[in-house]
Amino acid sequence: MEGIVLALFICLVLALISKYLSVPAIPFYILAGVVLGKAGLGLVASDEISHFFSQMGLIFLLFFMGLGLKIDRIVANRSAVLTSGIIDLNVNMIIGFAASYLLGFTLIESLIVAAAFYVSSTAMALTSLIDNRKLMMKEADTIIWLMVFEDLVMIIFLAIISAGDQNLIIFAVKILFVLGILYTLAHYGKEFLIAILDRDDELPILFTFAAVLTTASFSMYLGVPETMMVIALGAAFATTDPDAFEQHARPFKDVFLVVFFVFFGVTINLSGGADWFVIGVICILAILSKLISGVLTGIFIHHSALSGLEIWGNTIGRGEFSIALAVLYGSPLVGTTIAAMVIVTSIVGAFMAKYATFLRRGIVGLGRRSAPPRRVHTKH
Amino acid sequence: MFPMPLRSQNLPGVGTKYEFSTEKGDTVAIFFTKTGTVQMYTLQQGCNTPSAAEMTPLEARRLGNILTGAIIEADQDSVDIAFSALADLRITLHTYIIPASIAGKTIEDLQIRAKTGATVIAISRHSMNIINPPASFVFEGGDAALVIGETDQLKNLEREISVD
Repeated sequence: MEGIVLALFICLVLALISKYLSVPAIPFYILAGVVLGKAGLGLVASDEISHFFSQMGLIFLLFFMGLGLKIDRIVANRSAVLTSGIIDLNVNMIIGFAASYLLGFTLIESLIVAAAFYVSSTAMALTSLIDNRKLMMKEADTIIWLMVFEDLVMIIFLAIISAGDQNLIIFAVKILFVLGILYTLAHYGKEFLIAILDRDDELPILFTFAAVLTTASFSMYLGVPETMMVIALGAAFATTDPDAFEQHARPFKDVFLVVFFVFFGVTINLSGGADWFVIGVICILAILSKLISGVLTGIFIHHSALSGLEIWGNTIGRGEFSIALAVLYGSPLVGTTIAAMVIVTSIVGAFMAKYATFLRRGIVGLGRRSAPPRRVHTKH
Repeated sequence: MFPMPLRSQNLPGVGTKYEFSTEKGDTVAIFFTKTGTVQMYTLQQGCNTPSAAEMTPLEARRLGNILTGAIIEADQDSVDIAFSALADLRITLHTYIIPASIAGKTIEDLQIRAKTGATVIAISRHSMNIINPPASFVFEGGDAALVIGETDQLKNLEREISVD
């Protein structure tokens, strides 16, 4: 128990520092965990309590993922979302998978690494757009919808990989069954749900917490993993009042996720040896492959490779979902690799997101000497 | 009436965006972010990079007040309101504490309106409020009177009837 208190206190200090410097806090939480845990000083070890807290963090992260699921909006925005989404998916999944397979990971491990390699941190991308005051840029829309698309791909990926040995068709039927029940409940109970959420006493927050935990605990009876259950719950609740649910679930997510990140760091074990060559290659490729997908997206959507630099800068950071994959399905070696990738990319990403505009102006400035000025901003 | 269409859009995970182009071709965009702040961007026509300002909800409301033409400047016990739509009409509301020297007199006795042009619109006495007191209203020492008028009229009031 003292371990959690110590870890939380250190995270609080780190959170203050990271807000002050306006850089993402996730890499610092993980590093703090590494320093405090097995790989470092050995001051903090994971126990039942920390395990439960971490589990809560993961469950609430996935619940939020479900709440943010907006298939109807993707369909309405189809052409732009699909183009950028498919470029991003193909480039990064293929590079991530090929690299990890060639570096000696098994087939399944390579899939996990590739998925973690592919999925940018939605939280980091959106925070950097807001903090760096880039919301008005035309690339901002592309980035925001790209994150929505990535989350959707992640959910599908989690569904497929969590099927494990089960027959995929039976598994899909089970998930659809769960979804059907939850949607029906949300549909017919909509007025009841909204009435509960509107109260100003403790009921909305208690209800949200209980609903998420209850749904998660049903997983053992249905043979559908917790991850899928809470995502489905989020998706069903999204049809009622997603903003209110976000508001009431946010405190749980914020606190438990910090425990989740720091104890992910604590459990990293370097005594088995870490292959620094593999880690280095993955980290560098993780940065470069987003550059490739970003520039391609810039060219296809905004007809400007320089737009791609902006997209790149804001999507380099891998974060919460990559770690979730490592915790759920990663071997120790995969976990260490993903941890290093998250730390490196999120720090590089924070830096690039801030300076991408300068970089872009610098390149435009150099180009002006030889080429006539381009008309960059076009109204649509 | 909006001559130019105002576009609004809900951005997942970010918040709500409002954007419109002015007659002169500049663009203004406002974002109500989920973090609770309001960001305003302006993009001059032909320009490539917008400039941005981030505001707290309170600051955003102040900006809104200025833009809608009601400028309110408050000091300790007076509020200055300017209506730019009414040929820059400026009106001041001021509170005064009634001194013992005029206790027992009515508004009519003091001839406040006739002498100064200012009007007493409310009295606060022992945390009770009397709105629009009649001319026969009798002041007591310690009453707080809310008076409305132009700056000059209030200066007259302060000179003619020694209140502070």
